Amino acid sequence: MEFEEVIGLEIHIEMKTKTKMFSSSPARYGDMPNTNTSVYDLAFPGTMPTVNKEAVVKGIQVCNALHMSIDPLLRFDRKNYFYSDLPKGYQITQYFYPLGKDGYLEINTSTGKKRINIERLHMEEDTAKQLHAYDCTLIDYNRCGTPLIEIVSKPDLRSGDQAMSYIETIRSIVSFLDVSDGKMEEGSLRCDINVSVREKGSPAFGTKVEIKNLNSIANVGKALDYEFKRQVELLEKGEPILQETRRFDEAKRETIPMRSKTDSVDYKYYPEPNIVPIRLSQDFIKEAIDSSNELASSKYERYTANGLSDYDASVILSDPETSRYYDKIVSYGVSYKLAANWVNGDIQSVLNKDNLSISEFKLTPKQIADIIKLIDCGKINNKQAREIFATLIDNPSLSIDTLAAKYNEGMISSNDELTKIVNEVLDENSQSIADYKSGHDNALRYLMGQVMKKTQGKVNPKDANEVLLNELNRR
Amino acid sequence: MKDYIHLTIEELHQAYLNNEVTPLEVVTQVLDEAEKDTNNAYEYICKERALEQAKNLKEEDKGNILWGIPYVLKDNYSTKDIPTCASSNILEGYVPIYSSEVFDKLEKAGAILIGKTTLDELAMGGTGTSGHLGKTFNPYDPTHERMIGGSSCGSAATVSSGYIPFSIGSDTGDSVRKPASYSGLVGFKPTWGRISRYGLFPFAPSLDHVGYFTRSVKDAASLLNILAVYDEKDATTSSKEVKDYTKGLDGNLKGYKIAVIDEILNSITDKTVIEEFNKTLKILEKEGAVLSHVSMDIDLVKAIYPTYVIISCCEATSNDANLDGLKFGLREDGKTYEEIMTNTRTKGFSTLIKRRFVIGGYSLLKENQQELFLRAQKARHLIVDAFNKIYEEYDLIYLPAAPSIAPKFSDASDTLSDEYLISDNYLAFANFGGYPSLTLPIGFEAGMPLGGNISGRIFEEDKVLNASLAIEKNLPYYNLYAKKETK
Repeated sequence: MEFEEVIGLEIHIEMKTKTKMFSSSPARYGDMPNTNTSVYDLAFPGTMPTVNKEAVVKGIQVCNALHMSIDPLLRFDRKNYFYSDLPKGYQITQYFYPLGKDGYLEINTSTGKKRINIERLHMEEDTAKQLHAYDCTLIDYNRCGTPLIEIVSKPDLRSGDQAMSYIETIRSIVSFLDVSDGKMEEGSLRCDINVSVREKGSPAFGTKVEIKNLNSIANVGKALDYEFKRQVELLEKGEPILQETRRFDEAKRETIPMRSKTDSVDYKYYPEPNIVPIRLSQDFIKEAIDSSNELASSKYERYTANGLSDYDASVILSDPETSRYYDKIVSYGVSYKLAANWVNGDIQSVLNKDNLSISEFKLTPKQIADIIKLIDCGKINNKQAREIFATLIDNPSLSIDTLAAKYNEGMISSNDELTKIVNEVLDENSQSIADYKSGHDNALRYLMGQVMKKTQGKVNPKDANEVLLNELNRR
Repeated sequence: MKDYIHLTIEELHQAYLNNEVTPLEVVTQVLDEAEKDTNNAYEYICKERALEQAKNLKEEDKGNILWGIPYVLKDNYSTKDIPTCASSNILEGYVPIYSSEVFDKLEKAGAILIGKTTLDELAMGGTGTSGHLGKTFNPYDPTHERMIGGSSCGSAATVSSGYIPFSIGSDTGDSVRKPASYSGLVGFKPTWGRISRYGLFPFAPSLDHVGYFTRSVKDAASLLNILAVYDEKDATTSSKEVKDYTKGLDGNLKGYKIAVIDEILNSITDKTVIEEFNKTLKILEKEGAVLSHVSMDIDLVKAIYPTYVIISCCEATSNDANLDGLKFGLREDGKTYEEIMTNTRTKGFSTLIKRRFVIGGYSLLKENQQELFLRAQKARHLIVDAFNKIYEEYDLIYLPAAPSIAPKFSDASDTLSDEYLISDNYLAFANFGGYPSLTLPIGFEAGMPLGGNISGRIFEEDKVLNASLAIEKNLPYYNLYAKKETK
């Protein structure tokens, strides 16, 4: 019997907003514990939630990227349960009316593109972070109230590889939109898995198992591969699959039971009475969508249309910061190809050498664009450009023009003088002129060589070529 | 020496303007009276703070109507550095680190906080008996046999004792307007969203209103001028323009159409209540209003109370879920979070509160939501629709605020008579619809006051106040308080 894995994912994404979902305290990762809190975050009696507009805008942008229909009436609900990381004793979420529903995403699979349907996207607030020491638990309320979006897929994924590709695509979308860092390792993207196994082709679903505690995309793949094997073995032995929550043990590379699903909690959802429904105008929604950052897929189209190879485009798009840096360089009007050579070549080597990210790179996109322009107009050659680049890395505040001037010392800069020398060369080589006129390109190269020889190389080859052509055509 | 501590806000303000008396003199005397309180009205008296504040008032701010006016706050308003326990053991020792918007506004206006007053525990209750300090008494009954009603019992008792010109309460079902009826006061709850609830400990936010007690209708209008606000900290406040509520307040009711709902009136058995009420109908007509008796589906009227119970209990369960012993207030030991939370809540809440939580939790369970919570929500819509229909034709609804004078503690019962189900509990309709609603004294029976209630369309506080003024100026109950009456 052939089996297939049926997988649905619930992805929580921490949004990068200035303030929290319902309070004005900063939503920053990595600060001193319990410094970014407010009376609301700690649930002091009488405090009230106010909706973060920036979070709503970002939520709309993700909905749009996932082709979802957006509910123009923004509503929130209470999810009630007691837990030490939940100061209010309830979480404000969107249970009855999510911001977005019925969307989809195309992912790359080994057999081509596949459409994964997405059930819903809703906004909510994160809980506090708990640090369990051996004799006590410490609570950091900094994370408490951070805006989250939860994206729930339909059970359309069929393998660990597909699940990884799906998460990678979501990660790319939220990081290119600048909605989130999307880092599973830091917890800004968290993933819960629902997985079952059934006979291939069967319309029915098997018993669902939930897997939690996954801290990397690779582990999602490993957990699903393990789970598929485990469940198939049970089915083949005729043993029942228990409905339960399991966690992935990284060291053992296997899933381990956490708790049985039978004692599931009733969250007693009901509408949040302190937030009256908010009507989002069509203009507001449109403005949010229009102000979205460009997605990787769209950038890829643009890059390849402007002459980049699939490889170059993909390398630049492997990280949103790199692509933002790259886009700034080309915004100064330099060629896509040359800019890509620098970003993927010299800049990448410097970053690799010092183990830096592009956001820590010392030179500005403008400086790189200036160097490229100097090469482009023939003021410096590639070797000289690399020398300037290396000098700037050590001393980024130096002027590029000053550095370039060094290579132009004693250069013939006067057009009249150049014209005079070119004419001298032409006068001395009448045969070559004739050859050129009769269509021999070699003649032009020879004449150029003569010009360089006569000037002892102290001329910009591009300028010399231009003058030579001009003068040839006049004869 | 003239008596300055039994004046209305307006009168005391005038005395300050005339330099007849200073806030320090008044506050000193008021504090004396407060300390002699025998009605169990206080959770906390801020003596030092009040004296300090009275000394430090600036002369140049004297023009503000509330400058130097003493007042008290129900102890469910967050007051920075002043203990606030909502008359519950679970908040024992809690000193807030932030202030409610209402308190902030009153402080800025120069009003002087004398103390925090008792309430039914966490504002859940209508008898003024369930606070952790026990029963609060009605100043009109020196034998302490009669209740003052709740949940804003302490705030009502101080103002009806005469020495405090106004007090702040809160009203989720009738918690200001019912005690006002039992203690001869003006008790006003403006439209939901007109005054910020930021810092008011929530009971049931979709029904909770800021409300207050005064001894004159004009004072109620002046206070609204100070308290009405669009507050970005309370997302449910309205950005509608704040009117000058004292302007045009003359008691002339020409053009007013007022409805009396027969099904509610007819459920009252007390003849004196009906007689006194009928007298005020004549007053309203004399002042130019057109009165009509209207009818309403009796089933809807009877549904008000059960609907209120379900919705308020449901909302209450989660509003008090923050009280888990971890962050503030009472803390009972335990080995795990679950143990601390369970032990703290077991000890901190009274049986009555737990009963409400059980009702609320039960009504929200997946298997019961449809039948209880959602059904109550539907009923609320139907009830509001029915009242809105009346308001399509009539500016105001006028009825007795309660079917009787303040009951004796020994007589309080939960018997589900029509009177209990309807006229004793109908006032919650104004919480369902967020309507402005005002109770004022309209008569006496056996030495105890009786109230009438006027409710209007949302954001039409001006009409409610004006009709109330018409009644007040035709009756001898302006600046009514207990001792004055018994003198």
